[in-house]
Amino acid sequence: MMDSIEGFVNVILGLLFTPQIFVPLVYPGLLTAAVMAIVIIWLERKVAAKVQLRYGPLYVTKRMGGVTQLVADLIKFFFAEVIVPRDVDKLPFKLGPALLLTFSLLPVVALPVSGQFEAFRSDATLFLAVALLSVGPIYVIIVGWASNNKFALIGGLREGYLLVCYELPVFISALAMAVLYGSLDLVELVRMQGPGLWGALLNPFAAVSFLVATFMSTSRFPFEIAEAESEIVMGPYTEYSGICYGLCMAYSYIKLYVKSILFALVFLGGWLPTVWPFTLDPTLPGLIVAFKAAAVMLVGVFLRAVYPRYRIDQALQIGWRPLFALSTASLVWSLFMVGVKVGGWV
Amino acid sequence: MSSSGVAEDLKRGLEGLLVQVREDARGGITVEVLPDRLVEAAERLRNLGFDHVKSVTGIDLPSEKRVAVVYHLSSYTNPAYVKVIVALRTAVERSNPQLPSLSKVWLSSHYLERETFDLVGVVFQGHPDLGRILLPDDYEGPPPLRKDVVLKTEGIDA
Amino acid sequence: MTLEVVEKHLELLIGPQHPGSGHMRLVAKLDGDIIVGFDPDVGFVHRAVEKIAETKGYVQIIPLVERPPLVDCVNVNLGYVLALEKLLGVEPPPQASYLRVLAAELNRVASHLYGIAIHAIMIGSSTMFMWPLADREVLLELLQDLSGARVTYSYVIPGGVRRGLPEGFKEKALKAFRYLRRRLRDYDDLFLSNPVTVNRLRGVGVIEMRDAVNLGIVGPNLRASGVPYDVRRAEPYCVYSDLDFEVMTRREGDAYSRLLVRIGEIEQSMKIVEQCLDKNPSGPILHESFLRGLSPKARAYMEQTGRVRFPALFSALKPPQGEVSVRVEAGRGELFFYVVSDGSPTPYRLRMVTPSFRNLAAFRHVMVGNRLADIPAIYGSLDYFPPEADR
Repeated sequence: MMDSIEGFVNVILGLLFTPQIFVPLVYPGLLTAAVMAIVIIWLERKVAAKVQLRYGPLYVTKRMGGVTQLVADLIKFFFAEVIVPRDVDKLPFKLGPALLLTFSLLPVVALPVSGQFEAFRSDATLFLAVALLSVGPIYVIIVGWASNNKFALIGGLREGYLLVCYELPVFISALAMAVLYGSLDLVELVRMQGPGLWGALLNPFAAVSFLVATFMSTSRFPFEIAEAESEIVMGPYTEYSGICYGLCMAYSYIKLYVKSILFALVFLGGWLPTVWPFTLDPTLPGLIVAFKAAAVMLVGVFLRAVYPRYRIDQALQIGWRPLFALSTASLVWSLFMVGVKVGGWV
Repeated sequence: MSSSGVAEDLKRGLEGLLVQVREDARGGITVEVLPDRLVEAAERLRNLGFDHVKSVTGIDLPSEKRVAVVYHLSSYTNPAYVKVIVALRTAVERSNPQLPSLSKVWLSSHYLERETFDLVGVVFQGHPDLGRILLPDDYEGPPPLRKDVVLKTEGIDA
Repeated sequence: MTLEVVEKHLELLIGPQHPGSGHMRLVAKLDGDIIVGFDPDVGFVHRAVEKIAETKGYVQIIPLVERPPLVDCVNVNLGYVLALEKLLGVEPPPQASYLRVLAAELNRVASHLYGIAIHAIMIGSSTMFMWPLADREVLLELLQDLSGARVTYSYVIPGGVRRGLPEGFKEKALKAFRYLRRRLRDYDDLFLSNPVTVNRLRGVGVIEMRDAVNLGIVGPNLRASGVPYDVRRAEPYCVYSDLDFEVMTRREGDAYSRLLVRIGEIEQSMKIVEQCLDKNPSGPILHESFLRGLSPKARAYMEQTGRVRFPALFSALKPPQGEVSVRVEAGRGELFFYVVSDGSPTPYRLRMVTPSFRNLAAFRHVMVGNRLADIPAIYGSLDYFPPEADR
């Protein structure tokens, strides 16, 4: 009897820890994304409050500084009434937030936790991750249209303009890194970023343009344009209430999380440095990646306390002129570095 | 320039328009004009250098069966007139308060005339956009600043 | 069935239920992102101040006219009491005049900090929204020491002021100004030199000097367009002719220069308050004709605490028949009072033209041709306050 229970537990645990289930569900998937979103939003409010001479979230679990404030907010969202206005386009309106969240979280299947632990091994995971990232924003436009509200329409259109503008630097920077390291496989990319050869150091242009495009795509100030509160109420999410609103709000933070992990893997050395034999695979590498991603997210949310927001045409100018030029320059630089290496200097 | 100097300037500039230029003990200058000469007096004052309207006031005078309309004018650019405020005063019938609008002479009187129309009931002919501004659009009833609208204080006489 | 495609301008009602509109509705017609038509719809907070004033005694009207501008009460209070004193023919004693100017300038700083904070949150800078509002606390504490209230002080009364300068006020005020000057440098670092702010505000909502004069706009908006008009210099009241300060003027007329004019005026107001504290003459704070009606006990109380006991005369003040017009420079611009008295305890007609109502004329002119996202940027830069405009 005990044998069978133990055997049963072993089977469940074995099932849980298989990469194909662990990666999308636990890390870096759903569970960790939820925890990270909660912690990062709390940190955003606390850091902004510290700059602004006030306390921030304080009362929920006061001893820990109000860190579970977001859990309280989430419970509140679950109990709030979900109002579906009469004249909206019902199917896209109701499905929109769920699809938004799904597609923003989808790229995690391509992200490896460590050298031996990933959902599936392929030689084009970088390409897959970046491609899956570009599916989500289309649903923002759909949601903006389905809401039958002029402010939502304007917000959706703004996101549409920005969508084309920020995807290009992301693609080109990723391409530059792939050219630099000679591979589209994320595991391979991390492995090649040995000591002192982090992607950000070898190709700072690509790092900067990828980072700025990340902030543009996840509505971090100064690019919080689709949801500019003082101009278009809540942008595409104006008509949402209750848990649907919570899902829409979570969308941009989950997207920031996924892109931060991608940034950490490609530019910040991934799970390196791990000193053999303290690899503790896959826990320690996973923690190192999460830590680096959290640092990137912290920079992103801190900008809220510093910058006002740009106008849509100014943000588009930034995207199409300096940013696009920078990412193209990063590609040229990668080619140059590869030429230098092949020419035998490095 | 003293205010009496200004009064002299006004008398000279508004000659032939049947105006009355008064100066009271405190130094305030009033130009009293009839409604049919109002626009011309306004244009002459503007050419003198009074370039904006500070206020348009409608005063209900039921005892005289008239509504007085007072334009307070001054200047931003003419240094002699920056220090003074000239009151351009006219009066209309209480039962049919119609006045030509001065919004073409002074752009700054646009919203002030609209407020006077809304609250006192004076109709400014030729105003590009005469409509209710402070009261709700569907307000029915006499203009509130008329003396026949009596405010009742809650708890005392209401 | 044939489909007809009609191209229309998008009509956006940025109504009272909108985070960036205040207590009014802005009707904007948009061609894509460009505004082609604009109409402000005001009157949502009309409280009939002028009508109610016809039923109240002259001293009762002081709190009544103080309520519309809210953050800027001492200047309105001062304007009304100056009109009343002109009717009565009463001049306040010198110390009262200095105290009036002191309170008015402190209030001006508070009003400008509020305006800057609202402007900042409208273009998205939440830090610049929190900082000036927190720094207003310092001024509210000072004004509370002086008058006993944090907002709507009713400090200026006919004949003088309600309370004298308390003990230790000068040290507190100088300490407050040291703090505020440090904070002005912080504002400069965070917001005024921030490239995003400059991009959002420079060249946006330009009002040319000729248009500024024709539209009749007032206050920092007028001075930022190059017209050096300030009532404190044009027709000085109280002791402004003895005080040394600069009238901040700029030439560009865009939203950024309006912001800079307000920041500059904060510094000038602090200078004025410091001069008032230096020159502060001693003496009574209320005119002797009002003191004559008080009993000896009330007068002893006044000597002891420095606070005024209202004489019975105030409840039935009857100015002689006549009419006066008075203008003062409130925080947001020039405030105009026109009082008609018929010899009874209540005024026959009280006319109050607030600076925000005069700035309303600028909206239609300045918005057309700009983009949708410029609406909050320009609105905030004009420092339009709906309760003050609607009265």
